[in-house]
Amino acid sequence: MIGRYPDQDVMADAANWDEPTRRVVQARLDLPKTLRFFTKEEEPTLRAFCDVVVFQDAEPRVPVVAMVDQKLHESRLDGFQYADMPDDRDTWRLVLRGCDEVAQSQYGISDFAAGSWDTQEALVGQLAQGLLGGGVWERVNVKRAWAVCARMILAAFYSHPWAWNEIGFGGPAYPRGYMRLGPLGVREPHETAAATAPDPVHDPRSGA
Amino acid sequence: MLRGLLKGSVGPTANDSRFLLDVQRRDLPGEDTMQRYSDQDEVDLCIVGAGAGGSVLAQRLARTGWRIVILEAGPFWHPDEDWVSDEEGSHRLYWNQKRIIGGADPIELGKNNSGRGVGGSMVHYAGYCPRFHPSDFQTLSRDGVGADWPISYWDLKAHYQEVERELPVAGQIWPWGDPHGYPFSPHPIGAAAAKLWEGAERLGIEMRVGPVGIVNGAFGNRPHCIYRGYCLQGCKVNAKASPYVTHLPDALAHGVEIRANSMAARIEVDPASGRATGVTYLREGSPGERHQRAALVAVAGYSIETPRLLLNSSSAAFPHGLCNNEDQVGRYVMVQGATQSAGRYPTEMRMYKAPPPEVSSEQYYETDASRGFARGFSIQTVSPLPGGWAEHVLAGGHWGRALREYMRDYNHWATIGVLNELLPQAENRVTLADEPDEYGLPIARFDFSLCENDKKNMAYSTKLLKEILVESGAQDVLTIQRFAHLIGGCRMGTSANNSVVSADQQAWAVPNLLISDGSVCPTQGSANPALTIMALASRLASRLINREVDYSRAAGAGH
Repeated sequence: MIGRYPDQDVMADAANWDEPTRRVVQARLDLPKTLRFFTKEEEPTLRAFCDVVVFQDAEPRVPVVAMVDQKLHESRLDGFQYADMPDDRDTWRLVLRGCDEVAQSQYGISDFAAGSWDTQEALVGQLAQGLLGGGVWERVNVKRAWAVCARMILAAFYSHPWAWNEIGFGGPAYPRGYMRLGPLGVREPHETAAATAPDPVHDPRSGA
Repeated sequence: MLRGLLKGSVGPTANDSRFLLDVQRRDLPGEDTMQRYSDQDEVDLCIVGAGAGGSVLAQRLARTGWRIVILEAGPFWHPDEDWVSDEEGSHRLYWNQKRIIGGADPIELGKNNSGRGVGGSMVHYAGYCPRFHPSDFQTLSRDGVGADWPISYWDLKAHYQEVERELPVAGQIWPWGDPHGYPFSPHPIGAAAAKLWEGAERLGIEMRVGPVGIVNGAFGNRPHCIYRGYCLQGCKVNAKASPYVTHLPDALAHGVEIRANSMAARIEVDPASGRATGVTYLREGSPGERHQRAALVAVAGYSIETPRLLLNSSSAAFPHGLCNNEDQVGRYVMVQGATQSAGRYPTEMRMYKAPPPEVSSEQYYETDASRGFARGFSIQTVSPLPGGWAEHVLAGGHWGRALREYMRDYNHWATIGVLNELLPQAENRVTLADEPDEYGLPIARFDFSLCENDKKNMAYSTKLLKEILVESGAQDVLTIQRFAHLIGGCRMGTSANNSVVSADQQAWAVPNLLISDGSVCPTQGSANPALTIMALASRLASRLINREVDYSRAAGAGH
């Protein structure tokens, strides 16, 4: 991920973090490879779908798939479910199935993963705009189904230290804290601005 | 006068929490030696919920010798181990048990507004601690909308001041509402907030630093803030106020038991006397139902769980839920419109540095007929971390390549938000869903729909946010429409047919049942609710201590 902050490595500072934080972040770099929530049959569609949503087209990838799988396996859900939606765990399976259905019916390919990058992007675009219908899409609110999946993927991606390096985020900051908060004004609330701001270099009395 | 001279060292007089905390360790002192009561022991008071309302009530009463048990559904935190400087890693702080959301404008719960565990939602609130305005208590008579409270701002004022000393609140002298100062001086602010303030200033909008419940100077063993920016993930520094550091250490030192991992199932009422006898609960790792006997019960589970517990406590005398024979329980639940807009600037902002709550304005708080709607909104700077920022970008309709590009630009963005006063409506309510939770208890369903006044208020403030960003030199603007906070659901009023509790937060239907949380508020203003919830609990406690609340009578007598 060479980008705007090529020299940043958040993990190089990990020795300055508190131990529980270090453990939580480090675990994202050592995730299990085999999936526990999703089935072998769902895996190709899942991988292709996650790739398109966060535009990861080459290795090394942030292991979004493993992170999403772990979260769903451990039932770490968000504490709410829309009245017109199933449980988030069911929503995920329906979305993957729905993507395969549309790949067959609209694009004439065997499944979502078999499509080209452009085809997959076009299909996800329809999903994001709530334009999909028929089949499993009749059983969910399409825009909300997109939000459930997209938010979980993004939460996973942007919790990974490689993503922090990409965007220049400084990472965990305890117990270190911050020294430089940014440019501040110089006046206290009870101090007032000068009525004029003469530049002594051009002051006529100085003869300039 | 003396306070002016002693600024920074004046603390509360009847709360030693700040001295009881350990300078180096973050655990709640006194957990090991905590008083333990048996279920059969009839305690003076059983409180459901160890958050803002329950903790303040317990701390005050324990000091006068009350024997108190607090049942808390979530864990007893050990922050050194349990809390992390990380967004995803903080998932456990939220109420993640399922709730169904419906209506025309469903409200997202969980991390957005619901806490679980000792300390409640204030463990992960941002830290803004404004008072309500005097007008908030009379919106119906002044502005023809909402409701009038059975108490006034002046009934709460002394408690606002006391709680501000206990948190302690830091900020500039406050010119809005009832003008007042704060015990601690304002914090320095970061680049992003300074930039947004510039834009507001150009539009003639007055802003002030704070008010935040974050230590800025010497305050017992509470350290100074280190500006690490993770207020919403639980403050590992102990600089940000929550009941965990502000009231529970003192409560434990005065004999309160906090029984964590204990989910209240129902409040039991004796059919003969009509009085509450205690709380039946389920404790993790202990099979079957348990029942804590108590002379007085106070529910402090907030706007979703408090109505849910009452609705789940049905009996022959209360077939539709406890205290619900007048169909008032769960109604008038409110949230605040919390649209956030971000601007892109040519220079780096690094908004993740410094606490998210920094600078705010209440210039638009009161009704101004020329704006075309009743009541108003406040403006506050915020600063999402990467995960929150990704949700913001996604809400702008971006994903894939475009989203990655916006995200790469994170350090150039600054974010400002509003809190709209949305009006109380009877149909915005909590009911029970068909689905049971892990304990077999029916879960809550929360329906919410905006009214016309709400929509006008939100549209006006969204436009103003954009103007502030443009005036401050933003090159691009991204807006996310969202909601924040919870309040109402068991409101106080003047009689059983317009409310669930009296001005003393005493249930109309059951004399020895109190509600001590934000659910009792009939309106919400556009202020963050934490300080008001604590001030209400403080007032209730002082009325109980002064024997101004008669809870000894039989049901049906008195009012």
